[in-house]
Amino acid sequence: MSAAALKLETRFPREMARIRQAGLLQAASGLVWIGQAALLAGTVHGMATGAPGSDAVLPAIGILVLALLRAGLDAAANRRGFLAARAIVSQLRRAAVDNLPRFSPFDRARPASGQVASVLAEQADALLPWLTRWHPARLRMAIVPTVILLVVLAQSWVAALALLIAAPLIPIFMALIGLRARDASDRQMAELGGMNGFLLDRLRGLDTLRAFGAVDATARQLRASAERLRRQTMAVLRIAFLSSAVLELFAALGVAMVATFIGLHLLGQLPFGAWGSNLTLASGLFMLLLAPEFFQPLRDFAAAYHDRAAGEAALAGLARLLEPPAAPILLGEAAPDAAASPIPMRLALAGIGFRYPGEARDVVAGFSLDVAPGEHVALLGPSGAGKSTLLALVAGLLVPHEGAVRLDGIPLDESSAAAARARMAWLGARPHLFAGSFHANLLLGRRFGQAELLAALDLASAGDVVARRPGGLKGGIGEGGLGLSGGEARRIALARAALNDAAGLILADEPTAHLDRQSAAAVAEGLLRLAKGRTLLVTTHDPALAARMDRVVRL
Amino acid sequence: MMRDLSPLLRLFWQERRRALLGGAALMAATLLAGVALLGLSGWFITATAAAAMAGAAATFDIFAPGAGIRLLALVRTGARYGERLVTHDATLRMLARLRERLFRGYATPNAAGALRLRPARLLFRLTAEVDALDSLYLRVLAPIGAALAVALLLSLGLWLAHPSLAWPVMLLLVPAGGLLPWWVARAALRPNRRRALALEALRARAVDLAQGQTEWVMAGRAAAQADAVLAADTRLAQAEDALNRLDARSGALLFMAGQAALVVTLLVSATLVEQRAISAPIAALALLAALAGLEAFTPLRRGALELGRAWLAARRLGPRLRAPDATPPRATAPQGVALRMAGVSLHYPGAGAPVLNGLDLQIAEGECVALVGESGAGKSSILALIAGEAEPAEGSIALPDGRPRTVWMSQHPALFQDSLRDNLLLAAPEAEDAALLAALDAAGFTPVLAAMPEGLDTRLGEGGFGLSSGQTRRLALARALLRPAPLWLLDEPTEGLDRATAQDLLRSLHPRLSGHATLIVTHLRREAVLADRVVLLRDGRVQAEARQGDPTHAGLLDILRPD
Repeated sequence: MSAAALKLETRFPREMARIRQAGLLQAASGLVWIGQAALLAGTVHGMATGAPGSDAVLPAIGILVLALLRAGLDAAANRRGFLAARAIVSQLRRAAVDNLPRFSPFDRARPASGQVASVLAEQADALLPWLTRWHPARLRMAIVPTVILLVVLAQSWVAALALLIAAPLIPIFMALIGLRARDASDRQMAELGGMNGFLLDRLRGLDTLRAFGAVDATARQLRASAERLRRQTMAVLRIAFLSSAVLELFAALGVAMVATFIGLHLLGQLPFGAWGSNLTLASGLFMLLLAPEFFQPLRDFAAAYHDRAAGEAALAGLARLLEPPAAPILLGEAAPDAAASPIPMRLALAGIGFRYPGEARDVVAGFSLDVAPGEHVALLGPSGAGKSTLLALVAGLLVPHEGAVRLDGIPLDESSAAAARARMAWLGARPHLFAGSFHANLLLGRRFGQAELLAALDLASAGDVVARRPGGLKGGIGEGGLGLSGGEARRIALARAALNDAAGLILADEPTAHLDRQSAAAVAEGLLRLAKGRTLLVTTHDPALAARMDRVVRL
Repeated sequence: MMRDLSPLLRLFWQERRRALLGGAALMAATLLAGVALLGLSGWFITATAAAAMAGAAATFDIFAPGAGIRLLALVRTGARYGERLVTHDATLRMLARLRERLFRGYATPNAAGALRLRPARLLFRLTAEVDALDSLYLRVLAPIGAALAVALLLSLGLWLAHPSLAWPVMLLLVPAGGLLPWWVARAALRPNRRRALALEALRARAVDLAQGQTEWVMAGRAAAQADAVLAADTRLAQAEDALNRLDARSGALLFMAGQAALVVTLLVSATLVEQRAISAPIAALALLAALAGLEAFTPLRRGALELGRAWLAARRLGPRLRAPDATPPRATAPQGVALRMAGVSLHYPGAGAPVLNGLDLQIAEGECVALVGESGAGKSSILALIAGEAEPAEGSIALPDGRPRTVWMSQHPALFQDSLRDNLLLAAPEAEDAALLAALDAAGFTPVLAAMPEGLDTRLGEGGFGLSSGQTRRLALARALLRPAPLWLLDEPTEGLDRATAQDLLRSLHPRLSGHATLIVTHLRREAVLADRVVLLRDGRVQAEARQGDPTHAGLLDILRPD
């Protein structure tokens, strides 16, 4: 699905209809003003012609009742539009979140996590102003001025002509001086966003800046570059704001022309323009009161202009997350059975071929391997030989183009992946630890008791990692495992894998890479303890680890 | 609310009070020109009708009102243009000042503690909060000021026409315009906070869903994590719904206050006209002026919600907006000593064992010491203490001149989104290009530079993006060479580099280690062999040490990772 193909109208017909209804309700509220204006003008006419003051009471009540109606219509439009727009945002988020796990974590072309987060969180929220402000404003701009123009036309064709001349001139002049400048100002606003980038960039390297004693200089540099940006931005805005001045000028001139014509007409100096008869004070005031409302929807629409760009960018970002994956994963997962005891798994790879999307050659071709239950096998080979890819194929994290993976004789596919994974444990080269407690990082939401946790930590020699930290198991880990060394993170990940007691197959991807000697030994020791009575497939560069396996397969 | 916003308001006020007041005044002028335009138009029409009815059409002066109407149309246009320019200029100036102040606020020791563990969350939060503060003047302060000024001047004008005419606007509009933003901001505080937290949770969980996909799938928890993302969206929707309800309610209230003022003005003027206290044209002027005055109050609805956001942001950023405290000075080390740590203990609250426990470490001028030990033995804590990022619970730290004047090189050297030259000038702001090129050459960066067509003007990406890790380390070395500092702190300078690159870098580094003291924190043998002395850290204190040539030296090196 391409960005252009994500059409809200076809994907969310009901919600978009509601947003249109919100626009219609807003337009209706704008049109109620016609009734209020007629009452107001009639009352002033009465005052001028000597009617008693009590004559104003009924119209006043009428105006108030109509005001309540307008308030109700506006509130209803606001709520209806918001609820529909929010439903669209939620459904798009859901669709993206449902689609994300279909991308293989080994697919290099899958959306980057930073991009996923920014599209799902703040960008998706930018759809709201676009849907709730811009869309209804556009509808209102089409309806309200047209109706008002017709009402004015019924009174006087000259006044209607004055409005008609002013109104189309606005878009024309705005297009002439505005649009190009507006694009420039959008770019400039994006650069202002870059100011935040500058601040964040420097905050990220604060340690370095402090170490170099460059804090003061950087603060001054920050300010100077913000000042420079301000001068550039103002140069652009000086032109861009001409368009809002033009809008103001024609709206004001429209009112002025209507007022002048009506005044001169009432004096008898312009005795034409009212379909043969003469205008009354009531109809003259009525038209004057309608004139500002004629221009109001145009101004509201102009004010919502920026919402559109942000909304369309968000939609394009979401569309990218909704594209089908180039390298899919086998779906299916089941919670491990905590009561089950490990039964070592038999693993058979037959004629496996795999190629990453967009690459010229197979990373794995015609690969076969049989691993007996309980056997420990090391895959040894240079980087890029496809060791990690093979491990991912066994776990169903990638799907082979040729050949089959059999686990205990059962081919690995969509229907068997869940049961198979419940009997696997995985230890990755770069385990993901999220910001949260050790407890939450170990459990990953699975149900295990305290005793099982401690046993797993013990097995992974990770007990001291936790004990040394403030708060113990309840103590915190930073984003992506910040605050832990590589060896500590690896041991926590090993404990996490060890929690699945039902695992009959352990897959370990470079478990000792980039570790100091002691940490590497601790991880290897824990891994072998865990693998006792289980099948183990490990990829490694480490000759010391490979030597401790039953068999070494070179790629 | 004022207590939270006051540091910010003071900052704004000190900086640009004239521009701030001028912008609000121009905003009010635009609105007042609109009030006068519609009022005068209403008066003109009614007066011409009255003149026609009285048969005085021929003597009616049409020139002055007509000119007035045209003039007001132009004044409104000009004032609007000026207002846009002045308010945006003021906003951009504030933006510059605010970022400078925030940066200084965060640059104090410990302030960036949260930054170290959860940088992404903090930086995201900061972006949202700074944006909220940016719009405080343009969307909140200036419109409220302008609306109140318009209401007061409008009341004054109506009072001059007849005192009774002033009351509807004074009693209905002014309180509504003054109190409503305050009330909405208060009521919005909770949902705003919940919205911010839900958005942060949504973001963090989405990152975890994508980054930790393998772990989730293999643990059978991918669906559960996807549900967690969507649960954050549900909370976000609830908070946004609460804010939208508030918006709908406050919008209706504000609207009805304006309409009530209009209706009461209508009734009052009808009575006054009947009593012949005012003429019908004056009544029309009053009515249309009041009607046009309502325009000033429309922006307050959005402003009220923005005020809620800004309030929350100011509350969170408050401590960073105050003037920063000075770093507590370190003791001065005696002549010939580059670093002396005596009996230093460091204890994180809630932790079982202290990280450092009575540590004694001294480095002589010109000496190179390698600090080795298991992960978690407290090596990085020592670096943080020396750099002034942490304070010891017990013991003393002495440095030459008592200031942490150091050079810091780590496995993740911070490079900035700036030109190559500016990245180097951090270390030596006054250095000439020739000195920069010499340093780059000494660090072995010249071949890389030769491939850059823009030379020193080449811009680096975020975090030095665009350079390989070996090139990054070389650049960091060049930067270090430019800085005359008595103590170099090297934190695993070749970790993560392949063997050939690492050896190459160490060959460039080695001859530069003389002339100053060096502390290398490492678990790599290739780094530790450069040192005159190896110190083994265990359980927060020095367990063993050996100089080059000592019999135990080789044994200490053997526990390190070979390559």
